[in-house]
Amino acid sequence: MINLKINNAEAKSPSSESKRVDSIGRVGLLILAAVCAFIAVLIAVFLLVESLPALYTYGLGIFSSTDWNPYIDRFGIFVFVVGSLWVSGFALIFALPLGLATSIFLAEYCPPSLRYSLRTAVELMAAIPSIVYGLWGFMVLVPWLRYSGEPFLRNNFGFIPFFSGEPQGYGVLAGSLLLAIMLLPTIVAISEDAFRMLPSTLREASMALGASKTETTFKIVLPAALPGIAAAVLLSLGRALGETMAVLMVTGNTMIIPKTLFDPTYVMTSVIANQLGYAFATPLYRSALFVVALALLIVSICFTATARILLRYAMKSRSFGI
Amino acid sequence: MSTKKFLDKVTYAVLLLLSLLVVIPFVLIVSNIAINGVGNLSIELITQLPSEMGLKGGILNAIVGTFYLIIIAAVVSVPLSVGAAIYISEYTRSGRVREMIEFMSDVLSGIPSIVFGAFGFTFFVYYMNMGISLLAGALTLAVMMIPTVLRATEESLKAVSRSLREASYALGATRWTTTWSITIRSALPGVITGILLAIGRIGGETAPLLFTAGYNIYLPTSLFDWTASLPFIIFIFTESPFSQLHAKAFAASFILVIIMLGINLTTKIISRRLSRGVVE
Repeated sequence: MINLKINNAEAKSPSSESKRVDSIGRVGLLILAAVCAFIAVLIAVFLLVESLPALYTYGLGIFSSTDWNPYIDRFGIFVFVVGSLWVSGFALIFALPLGLATSIFLAEYCPPSLRYSLRTAVELMAAIPSIVYGLWGFMVLVPWLRYSGEPFLRNNFGFIPFFSGEPQGYGVLAGSLLLAIMLLPTIVAISEDAFRMLPSTLREASMALGASKTETTFKIVLPAALPGIAAAVLLSLGRALGETMAVLMVTGNTMIIPKTLFDPTYVMTSVIANQLGYAFATPLYRSALFVVALALLIVSICFTATARILLRYAMKSRSFGI
Repeated sequence: MSTKKFLDKVTYAVLLLLSLLVVIPFVLIVSNIAINGVGNLSIELITQLPSEMGLKGGILNAIVGTFYLIIIAAVVSVPLSVGAAIYISEYTRSGRVREMIEFMSDVLSGIPSIVFGAFGFTFFVYYMNMGISLLAGALTLAVMMIPTVLRATEESLKAVSRSLREASYALGATRWTTTWSITIRSALPGVITGILLAIGRIGGETAPLLFTAGYNIYLPTSLFDWTASLPFIIFIFTESPFSQLHAKAFAASFILVIIMLGINLTTKIISRRLSRGVVE
């Protein structure tokens, strides 16, 4: 008994040398962690400071003014905000039903043999760089839309205001279709997790009451997974608003507020990518572009935070029992 | 067959069809890039520098440039993010500090890539006086890598069983020794997966490099040279009016896609091995 105590005492007191290493190491790692957190803060503060001159000069009216003319120092970013909303909104409208159906299929219906290959394919979609999507959009999608897709829609569905424009190829439709393809992996992955997180007792209880598989899936499982699906929507919308190269290459980058899906448009990320190089020598011009960047950052932080809260709520309230 | 069962079959068929519809664009895009890319591949393309405004010669400058950018970005960001992950998972209890660093890293991973580009251009290139350079481009990419590596390392450290650490403490090892000779070793495959994933994420990025690394028809010889990269040449070649350059853009895309899919499949294989190990 005594022996054991002595051993314990020895075990608990490492040599002073290794203790010193231990505490130095602790401080070193703390510094690394602090640097990581500091970088995020640095970026946010930096964007804020850089955008102050424009915000100070034009006030919040910069967001609602459509007058963008760098040569005479007029900077209103409303056109870009609208462009981003159009392209991202329609991308989500195209991608959400498909992505949701796929995630339901993967989580509830899919036989295991097919599941692995289908999941791998969707995951690999996310691995393709956005510039490659852009190249494909530029070389294949835009010409196809211009000469086949858009004329077809106009001739057959022209009575719908969205499809009544002049077919041009470059525009909202090209951007949102390409973006929809790029969003699918995000939507599928996150909402499939939302379904898989649910305890199987939920399904079993429903089946035991005589509900069919379809009834169980759409009346029990789907509503229960809603918080996770909402998180998927928010995160993919955040991705859509922030996507740069692919959208830049297919939307035509024209300073108009689109009225139909065929109209060209100019999104927030594109204006930074296209104009920051020229804007650099003019402080106010540069600052106006940083207002756009700051707006993107704030939206992205809000979406990230909300999605985090939603996912935590889903974890807490849904995954009881496992 | 009852109506309910019939309805189940119909739902199954519809969902299966929609799921296949999701994969179609992927197949279309990859096959298009593969067909156009393979046709334009040649030995000269990957072993020669461009000549005559890029119309002749190869794209070696971009291949080497991308390689340099990734290596330097990883060298800067891996120690930072692995260290930070070790700190929050081994040295803090779950609470404020951990929450905060996790949130910061989530924020970093949600920032649009062009915002990193604007930040890198103004901060590194201009204020830090690096100029458009290999270093500025690599540092911008390094910042983008942090969240992926950090979260992957943290997750794999969490997965290491507590008893392993306790056994080490019981033998008299300090936290430092335990972390470096026991915990991190068991977590290593997960950490490597995270690093590869992060490289997959930044290797194809164009927007952050537009104003930070630029283009160069030669190989960079110092950290302060302009540096070409595969995504960047795909962008400028695609938007150029010359069909020779379009052909090169397809070839470069093919090379990039192969690298990215290769990295992704490797991470899948590693993590599959890992989960099998856990089950055993």
